[in-house]
Amino acid sequence: MLYFLRRTGFFVATLWAAVTLNFLIPRLQPGDPAQALLARLQGNTQAVNPAQLAAIRKMLGTHDGNLLSQYWDYLGAVVHGQFGVSYSYYPYSVTAMIATALPWTLILVGVTQIASFAIGTLLGAWAAYRRNSRVDSVITLGSTFVGTLPFFWIGLLLIFVFAITLNWFPDGGGYGGGSSPSWTWLFFSDAFQHSVLPALALLITGPVGWIIGMRNNMVQTLGEDYARLARAKGLPRRRIALTYGARIAILPNVTGFAIALGGLLGGTVLVETIFNYPGLGRLLLEAVSNKDYPLMQALFLFTTIGVLIANFLADVTYGFLDPRVRRAEAT
Amino acid sequence: MTILWRNSKCRAGMIMLAAFILIAVFAAVIAPYGPRVSDFGASEGPSGAHWLGTTARGEDVFSQLVYGARTSLIVGLVAGVLSTLIAMAVGLTAGYLRGVVDEVLSFFINLGLVVPVLPLMVVLAGYAPVKGLGLIIVVITVTGWAYGARIKRAQIITLRTRDYITAAKFAGDSTARIIAFEIVPNMISLIVVGFMGAALGAIGAEAGLAFLGLGDPQTVSWGTMLNQASLGGALTTGQWAWLVAPGLVLALLITSFTLMNFGIDALSNPHLRED
Amino acid sequence: MALLEVRDLSVTYSPRDADTVRAVDGVSFEVHDGEFVGLLGESGCGKSTLGNAVLRLLDKPAAITGGTITFDGKDITSTSEDDLRSLRWVDLSTVFQSSMNSLNPVITIRSQFADTFEAHDNDVDVDDRAGELLEMVSLDRSVLGRFPHELSGGMKQRVALALALALEPRFVLLDEPTTGLDVVVQRDILDRLRVLQARLGFAVLFISHDLGTVMELADRVMVMYAGELVEDQPAAEMVTRHLHPYSAGLLGSYADPRDEIVEVEFIPGRPPDLSQSHAGCLFQPRCPVAVDRCRTVHPDLLPAGRGQVRCLLVEESVGDRAVLDKAAALRHRDQVFAAGPSALADADPVLVVEGISKIYRTRRGLTTTVTTAVDDVSFALRPGQVTALVGQSGSGKTTIARMLTGVERPTAGSIRFKDAPVDHLRRRALRKYRRHVQLVFQDPFSALNPTRTVAYALSRPLRNHLGLSGAEARARAGELLETVGLSPAAQYLDKLPHQLSGGQRQRVVIARALAPEPEVVIADEPISMLDVSIRAEIIALLDALVRDRGIAMLYITHDLLSARLLADEVMVLNEGVMVERGPTLQVIGEAKDPYTRKLLAAIPRPGASGTPVVARGDTEMGAESA
Repeated sequence: MLYFLRRTGFFVATLWAAVTLNFLIPRLQPGDPAQALLARLQGNTQAVNPAQLAAIRKMLGTHDGNLLSQYWDYLGAVVHGQFGVSYSYYPYSVTAMIATALPWTLILVGVTQIASFAIGTLLGAWAAYRRNSRVDSVITLGSTFVGTLPFFWIGLLLIFVFAITLNWFPDGGGYGGGSSPSWTWLFFSDAFQHSVLPALALLITGPVGWIIGMRNNMVQTLGEDYARLARAKGLPRRRIALTYGARIAILPNVTGFAIALGGLLGGTVLVETIFNYPGLGRLLLEAVSNKDYPLMQALFLFTTIGVLIANFLADVTYGFLDPRVRRAEAT
Repeated sequence: MTILWRNSKCRAGMIMLAAFILIAVFAAVIAPYGPRVSDFGASEGPSGAHWLGTTARGEDVFSQLVYGARTSLIVGLVAGVLSTLIAMAVGLTAGYLRGVVDEVLSFFINLGLVVPVLPLMVVLAGYAPVKGLGLIIVVITVTGWAYGARIKRAQIITLRTRDYITAAKFAGDSTARIIAFEIVPNMISLIVVGFMGAALGAIGAEAGLAFLGLGDPQTVSWGTMLNQASLGGALTTGQWAWLVAPGLVLALLITSFTLMNFGIDALSNPHLRED
Repeated sequence: MALLEVRDLSVTYSPRDADTVRAVDGVSFEVHDGEFVGLLGESGCGKSTLGNAVLRLLDKPAAITGGTITFDGKDITSTSEDDLRSLRWVDLSTVFQSSMNSLNPVITIRSQFADTFEAHDNDVDVDDRAGELLEMVSLDRSVLGRFPHELSGGMKQRVALALALALEPRFVLLDEPTTGLDVVVQRDILDRLRVLQARLGFAVLFISHDLGTVMELADRVMVMYAGELVEDQPAAEMVTRHLHPYSAGLLGSYADPRDEIVEVEFIPGRPPDLSQSHAGCLFQPRCPVAVDRCRTVHPDLLPAGRGQVRCLLVEESVGDRAVLDKAAALRHRDQVFAAGPSALADADPVLVVEGISKIYRTRRGLTTTVTTAVDDVSFALRPGQVTALVGQSGSGKTTIARMLTGVERPTAGSIRFKDAPVDHLRRRALRKYRRHVQLVFQDPFSALNPTRTVAYALSRPLRNHLGLSGAEARARAGELLETVGLSPAAQYLDKLPHQLSGGQRQRVVIARALAPEPEVVIADEPISMLDVSIRAEIIALLDALVRDRGIAMLYITHDLLSARLLADEVMVLNEGVMVERGPTLQVIGEAKDPYTRKLLAAIPRPGASGTPVVARGDTEMGAESA
């Protein structure tokens, strides 16, 4: 129980820290942040319209209030889900913009992350099971090599080869110009076609970390006394590999899962940009280049909270998988 | 050093890295043109005059590639050193002092681990009033120390309970001396590996940010090259060399670090340090 | 026909980046149905490798490179893993050295029984049978539902034993099955094992470095040295009529602390490097009776006495004990250490402990547990005397040491060093106090920084506490090394710890403790991690230092033999309470407290299981003291 309480405590504390961080970032610059932002917006070509001004004021709170009351107002707004109005997509609210983009990223990241984890863990376990064989060296060396490739570059190459040269897949976007989001078979197959290359870009490098982590952990667990004893007991090889090797070796990967999710979400910024994919990552980059601060702030907050929730879920799962932490983590 | 040299993988990595350093130092000699000289025909394919073709603005791709090595190495070195220093300070303090200090610092370490780094970088870069290499380095450092700090904390926690630490206390050594002379030498390989990891992350992050167009447009880096190749239509004009070359050298630089990492574990192992 | 027959077995380690090592070389022996055979040897002699080879559990880089293993008439030397499976556990089972790690941490004890039955299509009711097995090793059935981390070390080892007997095997290999457990628990488990073995009739190969236990439990004892068997005799013979000089040396390092005269000896030198080839007898460099021919001729294991011996001299003298009598006569006097009379002089105490207690409060969630680690303990340390603090792990020994050195503060009571209170010292005062109170640690591998030379380790206390300059400190460090028997010192000063053997490291640790010229030395189990054959050497060194330099020593141990050898006064600690205290002979000879008696009863009596050994004093040790 203590373990779960501690993890919940950590989750709440990090949540608060993320919200606070989000409050502090725009205020890091000297002077009145709203004025500074306005000054920078005015430096842009288009004139500042009143809507933008209102949006900034709303985001940053009234500048005559002190920092503490601003913080209080901000917390209230966050709790009520009021993140203001996007001014690059005026008059849409920030929340509406995020709601449109969220499913795209959720599906792309969710599917590729789970697939990467599954593929990586399986390959890593296979390499450990056949340690020092040809299979092992192919998997280990191959993944080490693939791991050095920058994946946004892989994305570019994928477009170059499969979209432009071979013309097998569309070169970008979430769906074709002829269709619009709807619950039809046509739309889904179209969206699927568009997501193959971005998913591939994430999937090529995605499993590398899991492969190496799983292999090393499992080589170690299979060398432990309990695995040797299992062999002495005459347990079938496969059973030893599963219950005495993989079952224990997978534990560190479970906690790694959430941390990797943070990295992968970062990766989606790159991949979605390359493929012009209508998800949160591209939206974030657009917000940054349009200086759409409310949208940018809210997006960062959402991503962070998403990762924190995933992290919390991974911790809870870990608690169920590893009987040792449930009781032992008193110190 | 000799032990690192004897490891064939490590040796290959060191040679590769040395080559990159030489290229970066002598960029002006090696590159046929200046990186921003745009006197040539736009979007040309590879030729004798321009080995890797020219950009959409009429710059020589090969020259940009050579100068790009400078940016990557500087970012890797500076951001790597800075985040290793932060990681050491935080990790060593948390691990050696334990107690409340540890609780607080550990919380920040864990927070640093779960916050999605690239979006944070993007947001920080978006707010920054000026764009430049310095900013990129600061952003990368601020967001990249947590992992190293966690590992160093864990290591020091196991080291500080060793009997030889107690013995040093009984020999009258001060805490600072114990950390510097008894603990840190036993963490050398961890620190070096940590530095390499941080440098690697920094190089990748710089390329990513530059690719997104958030870098300094004045600096020539492999990330900005890819960004311009992507925007400049390298995909559609079939200029594969402009597209392939920056990614490939980036991969080679990362490979050299990875190869060196294989050999470094031997460094801390005193059994292998004889003769 | 023997149940297990090993012929000319060799095992070689071929690591990728180091020299190959012949860990087991041409070993032959048999184990018969129902026989209890002991395999005795020091660390690194190849006994565990031999055990793993017999079980066919060797992993790369180790491999069987010669010879055969025959079990029940079937050659299993190179049988495939799949064919071995039907044999494993049904016929051959095992209990490993470290019980801590031999159970799968993420599944329940019940599952570990269940998968054993399942793997061999044994259609029993798991709860029924496993419960029965647990009761057999004196555990409650409820243990089935628990995870390994919820059990104590002793309980885990009982589970491992129950598991080993699950399929009623014909042969059980026990590799140091109780090492690391408390003496009383050890005793309990071993007694249980002997009873079960007699009842169920399985054969045992018992691998251990613990001479007393092996001699007491086994029917027959084999002694291994540097990868070879050097002697193989019935246990009773081994106690009284062993023939090999190495066996004599090992036996000489053991004594019963209850005997009237207690003497132990040690074997100088260290085992040969097995990555090199050696022409002659491997024991020759350490052998007190070696002749020229031993250097060039490698002896074979030949019948002698009522077993077999590998020694040229025994070969020539046709099995009589003339060799050993000669050995005894030749042995240097300084290779033997005898317990001196306890001289409780009335010197003024330097350190006085009065009624100290230590209470720990640990908060876990909402409940607070109060543990009394030390309860109202008083004693005094006097110059030139050794006070032994005897107790099991968890008895509060270490807590007392921590309070004496100012690492922790007593909850109640006082500690005075030469009339100055030391229980509330801080910073500078604590540092000054520690000049006078130094520590000798248990584990010589953790007590020296692997990245610092011997000279560095020794110069720190000299420079900090005595204010010596760099050159002075180095010169003094050299003198200290000579004092602890590392001579010539110049050869050791610039070495890193990994270039030294365990015994040499422990000498450096002792030298470091002596460096600031302390008045009190606290030695926390200083010999328990060392090989049996060199323990006496360190004891002798400590003894000499205490007597010559007038140091007051607190000697912390769980081992009554070393307490008997070294201490003038013995204190027995049980669960934080001092249950007995008095002159060594009195405490060990006429123990009054039930706990002390239990500790004494846990000491093995070699030869007790076989025919009673009449002529105990007839060993070479007796001859020596006569």
